[in-house]
Amino acid sequence: MVTKTEESQLNKLENQVDNGGGGAWEYLCLARKLKVRRSDKVLKYGLSILNDSRKRSSLGSDEWTLYEQVAVAAMDCHALDVAKDCINALQKKFPESKRVGRLEAMLLEAKGSWEDAEAAYSSLLEENPFDQVIHKRRVAIAKAQGNISVAIEWLNKYLEIFMADHDAWRELAEIYVSLQMYKQAAFCYEELILSQPTVPLHHLAYADVLYTLGGLENLQTAKKYYSSTIDLSGGKNNRALFGICLCSSAISQLARGRNREDKDSSPDLPSLASAALEKEYKLQASDKLSVLTSTLKCLRVSS
Amino acid sequence: MAGTGGGELKYEMAQNAYIKLVLHALKHKTSAVNGVLLGRTSPKNESLVQIEDSVPLFHNHLGLLPPLEISLIMIEEYYSARGLGVVGYFHANERFDDTELGNISKNIADHISRYFPQAAVLLITRSLKLYQKGKTAALLCRFVSYASMAF
Repeated sequence: MVTKTEESQLNKLENQVDNGGGGAWEYLCLARKLKVRRSDKVLKYGLSILNDSRKRSSLGSDEWTLYEQVAVAAMDCHALDVAKDCINALQKKFPESKRVGRLEAMLLEAKGSWEDAEAAYSSLLEENPFDQVIHKRRVAIAKAQGNISVAIEWLNKYLEIFMADHDAWRELAEIYVSLQMYKQAAFCYEELILSQPTVPLHHLAYADVLYTLGGLENLQTAKKYYSSTIDLSGGKNNRALFGICLCSSAISQLARGRNREDKDSSPDLPSLASAALEKEYKLQASDKLSVLTSTLKCLRVSS
Repeated sequence: MAGTGGGELKYEMAQNAYIKLVLHALKHKTSAVNGVLLGRTSPKNESLVQIEDSVPLFHNHLGLLPPLEISLIMIEEYYSARGLGVVGYFHANERFDDTELGNISKNIADHISRYFPQAAVLLITRSLKLYQKGKTAALLCRFVSYASMAF
């Protein structure tokens, strides 16, 4: 997961290279470091460096890392011949390498030969059972074939061993949300919040899932997590501000019929959130301000 | 208007509406996307629904309620001033060979059809398919050829 500054830095570099300003190698290095999925750009600029023998030789030993990066990008863009060429070049240089073997298995996966890819991954895993990338590729194969339940099973097994892999927890949570298994998704987000308590996105996602689950307790907890998101993100997160208004409206709708055991802990929270939203909209989208005000009125009226 | 096996129900889709949705799907090639269709029943012909515009909604976390609620309220506010209502739902699955209309889409489409009984669901797959929500009717999709060009 990339921070906003890293993302803006990457975008700036991308714009620079797009407009012919050079800096392709820096862009590729940053993309590799941040592990973002910009395969079409990586493919284009990586190939421009690799096909130019002068630029290629100036890279020195980084040339092979670039071959690997371009091979993966080519497979993502379905340019399988390019991927095959890169893998051949790597094979000539590193004949017995497991890393190259992994790339070959990925090429089988990209071609759609699921059984061959599965067999290749299994044999690679026998030799090295702790290769995280191969475990995750197996989950990807299951997901690509549409066996979501198998993918979930594999991913759970993976997470039992590699509990610190945040991206995997997020992937699992997203799969659960897409299947409407919200309780399990909430569990994944809880794990993420425990291990990375200062990342506001996890709080936000957890609050969203709790709201979707519904029920008075979940709504109250969701409101707390929206508030913590706002706290952690310095008040800039519009989704959390909206979330607070939604929660307050839903809670008061639910609590209308029964006696409220405890007074509403922060009665001016929704009005503060609405004020913040209106300020933000005035700054960024002043023509949509009227839509916002009527939406907020709608939420307040239903409360 | 009963519509249960009576006259044919037709849908007419504006090019702008269709293009916006396809572009949204193309921009987010690696995730499922959804959107709403906006329009009205034609004043001249009650069995013709004109889809005039569309709003692409999300490209991740399609199953979460808060963003969906807020966006639907805002869309209704904005478009009711222009005389359009929500007439349908658009969805494109994550995998290109997945032609199932998932549970999430079914729930959202059900909800929409409660307010607008002739609601349509547009599922973009490899070839354009237009699903009818619950009523027996024939559908007219004028942009099938456009779709095969885009895919």
